[in-house]
Amino acid sequence: MVTAGYLFYVAVLSAGYYYNLTFVQLGIIDLGTRLVGLTASQVSGAMAGFAVAALVVAVVTGRMMDRVGWSSDLRVKLRILFFVVVGQTLLTVTAPLVGTPVQFFVWVLVCSVTLGVGMPVTFSLMIDLIPIRHRGGIAAVVAGLAFFAAAVYPLQWRLVEFARVMCALMVPAVVVMAVLAFRRLRMVEVWSCQHERFGVGRFVRGADPGTFRFVFWISVVLMFSVFFIDSLGFLRIIDTPVFIYTSWQSPELGVRLFIGASHVLGAAMAGVLYTVFGRRWLFLWILGLFAFTHLLYTFQLGTAPSGIDPPLSLPFFYVLAVSFYTTLNFALWPDLSTPANIGIRTGLGVGIAGWLASFLSTSLALYSRDIGLSLLEHLRYVNALALLLAVGYPVALYLRRMRALANLREAS
Amino acid sequence: MSLSLIPLLIAALFLASGEPEVETVQLILSRDHQVTEHEGALIVGDATVTIPPGARVPGPVYVIGGELRVAGEVAGDVTQLAGTVSVEAGAVIAGELQHVAGTLSIDSATEIGRRTSLDLTGSGTAAPGSGLLPGMSLALLLAGVGYLLARRKPNALANVSTAVRAHPVVTLTVGTLAFLTAISTLVFMAFTLVLIPVTILGLIVGVLTLGYGLVGWGHLVGTFLPIHRRGLATALGVVVLMAVLSLVSLVAVVGDLVVAALILSGMGAVLVTYYGVAPFRPEPLPD
Repeated sequence: MVTAGYLFYVAVLSAGYYYNLTFVQLGIIDLGTRLVGLTASQVSGAMAGFAVAALVVAVVTGRMMDRVGWSSDLRVKLRILFFVVVGQTLLTVTAPLVGTPVQFFVWVLVCSVTLGVGMPVTFSLMIDLIPIRHRGGIAAVVAGLAFFAAAVYPLQWRLVEFARVMCALMVPAVVVMAVLAFRRLRMVEVWSCQHERFGVGRFVRGADPGTFRFVFWISVVLMFSVFFIDSLGFLRIIDTPVFIYTSWQSPELGVRLFIGASHVLGAAMAGVLYTVFGRRWLFLWILGLFAFTHLLYTFQLGTAPSGIDPPLSLPFFYVLAVSFYTTLNFALWPDLSTPANIGIRTGLGVGIAGWLASFLSTSLALYSRDIGLSLLEHLRYVNALALLLAVGYPVALYLRRMRALANLREAS
Repeated sequence: MSLSLIPLLIAALFLASGEPEVETVQLILSRDHQVTEHEGALIVGDATVTIPPGARVPGPVYVIGGELRVAGEVAGDVTQLAGTVSVEAGAVIAGELQHVAGTLSIDSATEIGRRTSLDLTGSGTAAPGSGLLPGMSLALLLAGVGYLLARRKPNALANVSTAVRAHPVVTLTVGTLAFLTAISTLVFMAFTLVLIPVTILGLIVGVLTLGYGLVGWGHLVGTFLPIHRRGLATALGVVVLMAVLSLVSLVAVVGDLVVAALILSGMGAVLVTYYGVAPFRPEPLPD
C-alpha cells in the first residue's frame, strides 16, 4: 500500500507537471499569438495576470486548507483534486475553441483558478504519501518522467497537439480520481494516517520558529530567482531556430531522446544530492550550472560564425540545471512544512517561486522580443543575473557562518 | 563531441596560443562544412571540412578528428593530430604540413611549403604484447603510489575506500557531476587561450584525482586479499583492479560504462572525503 502511494504521487505530480510545462506554459503562448491573433505584448500581459491570479488563489486555498484542517485530511484533498482535474479537462477540451480575445482572457482566468487551487493540494500530498528518507528520490522520478515525456512528445509545440495528449491522459485520470476520492478504500485509509509519522518536514525538525521562517523565505527568494532566470533565458532561446531545431525541437529523434535522457540523469543526480547533502549544496550546484550554461550560450552567440550548429553541450547543461531545481522544488516545500502549515507554505513557495517567477519572466521575455532586443543582449542580462546569484549565494553563506561563529565567541 | 577529442582539442588550443598572429579560434565539431573565408585558427573536430578550389584560408588549421579536404589554399600551417587529411590536386599549403597521427593522402599535383612528420604512435611491426605496456606501466605506477599512501596516510586511503564501498551511488553521482562540469569548464577556459596554463593545471589536478580514486578502489580490493601488510595489499589490490578493468573494457559498450562508473565513483569518493581528510558522513535523515 505504501508503494501504491508512491505510484499515485508520481502519477499525479508528473502528469500535473507535464500539463504545466506543455499545455499551460507553451500552449497559452500559441493560443494567444497564433490562434487568437494577439500581439506578444498582449499575451505577456495576460500571462503576468495569470501568474498573479494563480498566486493569489494558491495562497488563499493554502491558508484555508490549514485553517479548516484540510491540509492533514487526505480524503478532502483527493476530492478537491478531483474537481481540479475535471475543471482542467474541460479547459483542455475547450481550448481549441477559443477564438476571440475576450474568450482568451476568460479562459486564462479560469485556468489560473484551477491551477491555483491545484498547487497546494498536489504538492502537499507528499506529507501523506512519501516518507522523508525517500523524498529526494521520488521528486527525482517525478521531474525526470515529466521532462522526459515533454522532451520526446509532442514535437510541435502547438496548443492542439498538447490538448490531444492531455485529453488522452486526463479522461482516465478523472475516473481514477473519482474512485479514490469518493469510494471507501482501505488503501486511502492507510495513506490518511501516514502524515502523523512523517508529516513534519526534514528542515523543520528541531528548528525554532524564527529560524524556520527565515530559512523558508530565503528558500522562496532563491527558488524565485532560479525559476525567473530559467524562463527568462529559455523563452528567447527557443525562439531562435539555430538553437531550438538542433535541440528541443530537433527533427532527429536521437537528439530529443538525448535531451530527455539528460533530464532523467539530472533529476537522478539531484535526488541523490538532495538526500545526502541537503538543500544548500543543491542550490549551489543549480546556481553554478545556470551561470555556466548562460555563459556557454553567450559565448556561442558572440563567437560562433553563422551556419555552425551549436554543440549539444549547451542544451545538456541547460536541462541538467532545470532538472536539478525542479527536483528540489518538489521536495523542498514539504520538507519546510508541517501538517499544520503545509497548505500556506506550498501555496507561497510554489506560487511565488514557481508560477509568479516563471510567468513574470515569460512576459518579460516576450516584451524583450517585442521591443527588438537581440538574443545576445537579452542573454547578457540573464547571464549577469545568473552570475550574480552564483557568486552572491556562497558569499552570503560564508558571511552567515562568520556571523554565527562571532556570536558563538561572544557567548563563550 | 566525443570525450576522446578533449585532450587533442586542448593540445590544439595550446599550439594555437603559441602562434603570435592568432587572436581567435573556430572549432567545427559536426556535419559537413565548406570553409571559403575564415579568420584566426581553425580546428577540425568530428566534422568534414572542405576548403574548395579558389578559396583561401589564413590558417593555422589543426585536425583533431573527422576529415579535412584541401582543394583551395591554406596560407599558414596545417597540423594533423588525428583524423584524415586529403590534399587534392591543385591545392596549396603555403606553410608547413605537419603530420603527427591519422591518415594523410596527398595528390602529386599540389604545392606544399614544407612537410614534416612526427610519428608519436610508433611505426613498423609492433612486438607481441607491446600494446599491454602502457596499461602495465600505469598499473605499476598506481600500485607504487598505493603502497606509499597505505603506509604513510592509511586513514586517508581508508576514508576514500570506505566512501566507495558504503556510498557507491553518492560517489558516482558526485564524480559524474564534477567530471562533466570540470571538463566543460576546462575546455571553455582553453578557448580563451589566455587561460590555457590554468586549463593544463586543472587537467593535471583532474588526472591526479582520478588516479587517487583508483588507488582508493585498489585499497578496497586489497582488503579482500589474504595479505596482512597494508602497503603490499593495497599495491596488489591496485594491480588486480587494473587487470580486471582491462578485461571488463574488452566487452563493448557495457564494459566501457562499467569502467567509467568505477573511475568516476572513485573520483567522487576522493571529493566527498576532501581528498581523504575526513570520512564521508551523509546528512542524517529521520526515519
